[in-house]
Amino acid sequence: MKTQAKHFKISFNIILFFIWLVLFTGIGIANPQFFAFDYSVGVMLRSAVEIGLVALPMTLVIITGGIDLSVGNTMVLAAMLGGLAAIKYGNFAGFLATILIGFFCGLLNGLIIAKVKVSPMITTLSTMFLYLGLARGITSGDSVYAYDIAFFFGDTSIAGIPAQIFLYAVLAVVFWVILAKSVYGRKLYAIGLNENAARYAGINVDRVKTAAYVLTGLVSSLAALIWLGRFNSLKYDAGTNFNLKVITIVVLGGTSITGGYGDMRGTILATLIIATLTNGLTVLNIPIGAQTIVQGVVLIISLISLAIVNQRKNRKKIIKVEAPATH
Amino acid sequence: MDHAGGKKSAGGFLTREFYLGVFLVILLIFLRFTTDGFYSLNNIMSVLNIFSYILIASIGMNMIIITSNIDISSGALISVVCIALAAIGKTGANLWVLLPAGMLMGALLSGINGLFITKIRIPALVATMATTQIFQGILPLCIDGSIYDLPPSFTWLGFEAKIFGIIPASVLIMLMITIIALIFMRYSGFSKKLYAIGNNANGARLAGINVNRTVVITYLIAGAVFGISAIILATGSQRVTTTMGSNLEMTFIAAVVLGGTSTDGGSGKVMGTVFGALILSMVTQAINYLGISSDWSDAVKGVIIIVSVIVSATSFIKKKRMIPLADATAVPEVQAK
Repeated sequence: MKTQAKHFKISFNIILFFIWLVLFTGIGIANPQFFAFDYSVGVMLRSAVEIGLVALPMTLVIITGGIDLSVGNTMVLAAMLGGLAAIKYGNFAGFLATILIGFFCGLLNGLIIAKVKVSPMITTLSTMFLYLGLARGITSGDSVYAYDIAFFFGDTSIAGIPAQIFLYAVLAVVFWVILAKSVYGRKLYAIGLNENAARYAGINVDRVKTAAYVLTGLVSSLAALIWLGRFNSLKYDAGTNFNLKVITIVVLGGTSITGGYGDMRGTILATLIIATLTNGLTVLNIPIGAQTIVQGVVLIISLISLAIVNQRKNRKKIIKVEAPATH
Repeated sequence: MDHAGGKKSAGGFLTREFYLGVFLVILLIFLRFTTDGFYSLNNIMSVLNIFSYILIASIGMNMIIITSNIDISSGALISVVCIALAAIGKTGANLWVLLPAGMLMGALLSGINGLFITKIRIPALVATMATTQIFQGILPLCIDGSIYDLPPSFTWLGFEAKIFGIIPASVLIMLMITIIALIFMRYSGFSKKLYAIGNNANGARLAGINVNRTVVITYLIAGAVFGISAIILATGSQRVTTTMGSNLEMTFIAAVVLGGTSTDGGSGKVMGTVFGALILSMVTQAINYLGISSDWSDAVKGVIIIVSVIVSATSFIKKKRMIPLADATAVPEVQAK
């Protein structure tokens, strides 16, 4: 079964890669400007970094069978408080405040989910309101402006490549190692497949889960710095729908929303696909409404194909095992 | 699960709803003595109007969540129905055309969700997320921003239809739907199927319930209810925009959750949703009259939901721990440590 699962994962990633290749070359042929290095890296990749970054730890969270709806608002809250701190106490304080807020937002989610045993969806739904409300209340609806460190994260180029892409590349590798190669990653899968079994196998489920949400909060705060630097200013409602976009990427990447299955490489490929789609359709002058439809359709197609592959896999399993004690 | 157990134990019924009701009464009394204008006729009516469309949609959402599914797309769906209704209303159609049209459209769109979830077996959260994007994407393609200059026949429900000249007619619709829902969810055989599916879909299937059909019908009913909500929302203004319902889905889910329905499914009562919706629709106005900037309203909503969820979760943990203590005869040494 294990080899089968592995085989399937690789093949789904290859499907994703081909989807991306077709999209990229197709759009590029329709509009050659798309192939230009300045556009594909400087605009396309740069615009997807924040969502892609948050999708990395979100994959961990979803693999445990959880979900984090509060990421967008964690991001905005962290960026806003960081911006306010930077005005009062200087750059470094702003950076520190951003990271700390991200950490505590994630910690609050994690503690309520792991210790109080409230379902992840309800927890992060309510903290979503809380973080949104705090950001709105503290700034009373005003914008917060970028400061030097935010500009460094979001608006600098190193050797012609935007700085945040290096950050994304490093974190993508780190999270791939965490999920695929580390003991912690195995624990995440175990929890997602069967939380009780994982508990009896001696895994500290509460701590593993909390850590996943804390990681999400921390990475959201990094995304906040980039976001603030890229847009120069931020309002409290900037994080609306951010959560759904991130979850779309994770699910498109083949991670099962019910937990237990998933692959970081899929998430990374899905980030590329979404980035190519959004920017490609903009290049082709397709109205923004049609773009959202296309994204929705791509998501549905990927889900249907995943469902078909899964069904086939299950059918195979049933024929192969035939023993009564499978469930 | 916890509800089925709670119902049978003596005095255990009405817990969540009872506490919410008490909280609500305390809140109302508190507002009576600390604010000046909250009980002014205008404010009460405006709160009631918000309450009516939030509650109506939340009742539909409650049904969906009881089957352990969810609908993220309801906000976008309401936007679509609002615009479609405005387009119909522009031709001078009155409420008796708009009402069935809205319900039908809502049911059809929501039925798409139901089919995705049951036939293709996409988890509800993701399926409705995808349809959200589709619904949201359709709107700007069809309409450029908003439909305005709507005839009085369209805005009749929102502006002129008042019972005794004061109470908005939407309140009457809300009352009717609430009463129907209360009776339906308490006595009908269909509602029992919903709870069964929410508790254990496989078990329900083995017990002879057609799970897929029931879930699709649930989405159809909920969609029709969202349609009614859309009518109240759309007729409340002269200009119907493409973002009328955006992000409302989170408020609906919050109202349902605050009302004690578990998103794991299988439990939850209409009465709880009523209280939950009322509390959430009061917050903004209440805060305003307390002299706090309405910018804090979302934070207050968040705190209310978190506290209520945590309180009910901790009491659930206690209950869970007490069951093995009461009949744990096999492992006393574990309990002693």
